[in-house]
Amino acid sequence: MDKAVVLRGITKRFPGIVANDRIDLEVEKGEIHAIVGENGAGKSTLMKILAGIYQPDEGEIYIFGKKEKITSPGRAIELKIGMVHQHFMLVDRFTVLENIILGAEKRLGIALDEKKCRKAVEELLSLYNFSLNLDARVEEISVGQAQRVEILKVLYRGADILVLDEPTAVLAPQEVKELFNNLRRLKGEGKTIIFISHKLDEVLEIADRITVLRRGRVEGTVLPSRVTKEDLARMMVGKPVMMKLDKEPVNAGDVLLSIEDLVVKESSGKPIVNGVSLKIRGGEIYGIAGIEGNGQKELAEAIIGLREASSGRITACGRDITGLSIKEIRDLGVAFIPEDRHRQGLVLPMKVWENMMLGYHTKKEFLKGKSLNLKAIRRFTKNKVEEYGVRLSSIEQPIEGLSGGNQQKVILGRELSREPKVIVASQPTRGLDVGAAEFVHRELLKMRKKGRAILLISADLEEVLSIADRVGVMYNGKITAEFRPEEVTPEDIGVYMLGGDVKAGEGK
Amino acid sequence: MKKRYYIVLLRVLAPVLAIVLSALMSSIVILAIGKSPLQVFYTMFKFSLSRLDSVAIMLYNATPLIFSGLAVSIGFRMGLFNIGVEGQYLIGAFLAALAGFSIKGLPAVIHLPLVILCGALGGMMWSFIPIFLKVKRGVHEVISTIMLNYISYSLIHYLIADVFIDKSQKLIQGLGSILSRTPKLSPSAMMPKLHGFLGLFGLQLPRHVYLNWFFPLGILTAALVYYLLMYTPFGFELRAVGQNREAARTVGIEPERVYVIGFLLSGALAGLVGLSDLLSYFGYMDMDFPRNYGFDGIAVALIAQNHPLGIIFSAILFGFLKRGAEGIQTLMGVPREMVSILQALMIMSIVVIAKLMNDYIKRLEKKEEMMVCSSENSSPPA
Repeated sequence: MDKAVVLRGITKRFPGIVANDRIDLEVEKGEIHAIVGENGAGKSTLMKILAGIYQPDEGEIYIFGKKEKITSPGRAIELKIGMVHQHFMLVDRFTVLENIILGAEKRLGIALDEKKCRKAVEELLSLYNFSLNLDARVEEISVGQAQRVEILKVLYRGADILVLDEPTAVLAPQEVKELFNNLRRLKGEGKTIIFISHKLDEVLEIADRITVLRRGRVEGTVLPSRVTKEDLARMMVGKPVMMKLDKEPVNAGDVLLSIEDLVVKESSGKPIVNGVSLKIRGGEIYGIAGIEGNGQKELAEAIIGLREASSGRITACGRDITGLSIKEIRDLGVAFIPEDRHRQGLVLPMKVWENMMLGYHTKKEFLKGKSLNLKAIRRFTKNKVEEYGVRLSSIEQPIEGLSGGNQQKVILGRELSREPKVIVASQPTRGLDVGAAEFVHRELLKMRKKGRAILLISADLEEVLSIADRVGVMYNGKITAEFRPEEVTPEDIGVYMLGGDVKAGEGK
Repeated sequence: MKKRYYIVLLRVLAPVLAIVLSALMSSIVILAIGKSPLQVFYTMFKFSLSRLDSVAIMLYNATPLIFSGLAVSIGFRMGLFNIGVEGQYLIGAFLAALAGFSIKGLPAVIHLPLVILCGALGGMMWSFIPIFLKVKRGVHEVISTIMLNYISYSLIHYLIADVFIDKSQKLIQGLGSILSRTPKLSPSAMMPKLHGFLGLFGLQLPRHVYLNWFFPLGILTAALVYYLLMYTPFGFELRAVGQNREAARTVGIEPERVYVIGFLLSGALAGLVGLSDLLSYFGYMDMDFPRNYGFDGIAVALIAQNHPLGIIFSAILFGFLKRGAEGIQTLMGVPREMVSILQALMIMSIVVIAKLMNDYIKRLEKKEEMMVCSSENSSPPA
């Protein structure tokens, strides 16, 4: 039998970097083949080559045994390759059905033959046992359902090879289960699935074979039954990675951050944080889990003064900080690691040292008279760059030239080096590779050891469970449950993330 | 490290390239009207640069543009578009004129600074309205400043023609009517010309040149603005707000406060734009008081990419073009609109080239970082 996809010596260069370096890959027909690797390992480039978005500089592609050139996304569809992107490409105001058929409508003359379209989609639904309401608008459905729409879109176009780019990144554990069931079903019907991820547990669970990429090259293809998570991590990073962080027991100190009945309203008047109360002691990490958009971001922004609390009280370091300005709150010792580095954390076109003093540029140590003491600022920056191991060519370079991990290190250096008492970290490892994420976790644990109170908001359950002392689940503006990480499983938390007892995957 | 100098060189080169490109494009236009581009350019250069009086006039032309370029650039630097420099400088000039003709008997050392201060104050007042509206009510500054420009035109018109018109003007017996202009400013309010100072170096400027101390004052102001932007906490805040307002807010800078102070500063500088003409050439304000310096300032700031020191050069470039236009008009019969076309082409090419150049520089920097990283990565793991 011919293999579904064979790549031979695929090389793709970008200015200054070889994204794919002589990649060889064989995907059997009807298998789930996972491709794992850190950010920047070349996974996405490889998939974009398969999807016809990029052309390889060298190498050959065989699809079902025939040598092909995938010159455009349209050609990829002709070859029955369907791409399910990480970021959904759906029209919110259209119905599920309309989204599925959009661009590949069956026609009756020049009119749309809705009956025929609906019949075709319904057949797909029953064949693969997908549950979806075709007449719901996309804006009303859950993330897991939206993903199913994306998958149906490519199936409707007749794809036999499905490429899924980080499909689980946005899903709750229950939704992941549902997705995996769907994928197994697709496999059972003879579809070939290429599954890109960097979540090792999931890959080990679902894949028939796993190919590891590292820095543009294939590190190896392995069977999940023969390897452990640690093996995979080592292959990905190129050196042993500590999967378990050593979290020493710390004696909790005084309450440093306390929130009572906090309500934050959107500009429309709808409460987005709706009566949150919590207390965090020094030496404690309080993790907040939850699907994005349930008020976590607004909670963090209310604490540091970016958003107004419409009622409730926030106390930090023993002082009522409700209604204080951001500067006053920061000066009291509240540090903030914002979830969107580029929008809130950094001024991208500015130099590294300018970003390092941002917000602290009026501190005495950085002033000489009324002017900036550039010498002192540069010296401080150089020290921090060294201490945190920021990789850069010069502190004079604009920070936008740095990688995400290095940018985050600059933010950490800026926010954590002033001995803050309370740290609000919102999605601090988003978009970072394994190594950089591990670094961030270690820094947070260091702060915990020093007796700081840390609020960690994260969509990554594994992260919350591995470093937090207590975990609260936020749903619909409220903290609906609270656990100690050692007494729960991700599935338990997942139930609350979806709003309590709602059936898995159908949460809305 | 060598690459950093290369990048700096590219940054400086961008405007030069733009000038060359726009010269090439305007050559086509010149050819179209049947003249030789080489000859036109040659005449422009020769007329503007080979005569002492032309050079001085060029610098005189540049003087108001330095101030208006700076005023516009401060707005740009914090992410606001101050189109209102035009109105701000008219109001500033009027207030300065008012202080100049209504106050009498002060010694020049007090009167002149007072007049200049009034100019700055006038511009500041006029810039307060749009920034107040923006910060308090969210009115977009582009809309409000454009409208305030029109209001200022009419207001000045009214003040000059109706309220403060100089009634003491002598008429030739029963003929005509008096001019619509303010009374003449006291001599103590006038800005001395540079003739005396340059005379010390053996440079004798003819009387028809009005180059005055506002030119060196403009250079000094540019240097001060540069210092403010690059070496003071407020300048840093202003740039941070301009490049990422949300990040600035998140770290505790109040963008609204920066907007208000920055815009008032921009207005104060705008208030000085008209003073070189008023206090050295005119000596009164009338309906023919020069217009459009505010709009030219936008172009000056764009070409200099909002760099305060670059603005000195781009203002001089505009001064050169204006003087050169007079040259090619009188000597070659080329319409001066030709120079307007040249200016427009220059602005367009600078925008395009600056964009291309910045993309290229960014790519270089990315590449550099990749090299740093990969060289570190390739060392054997410990």
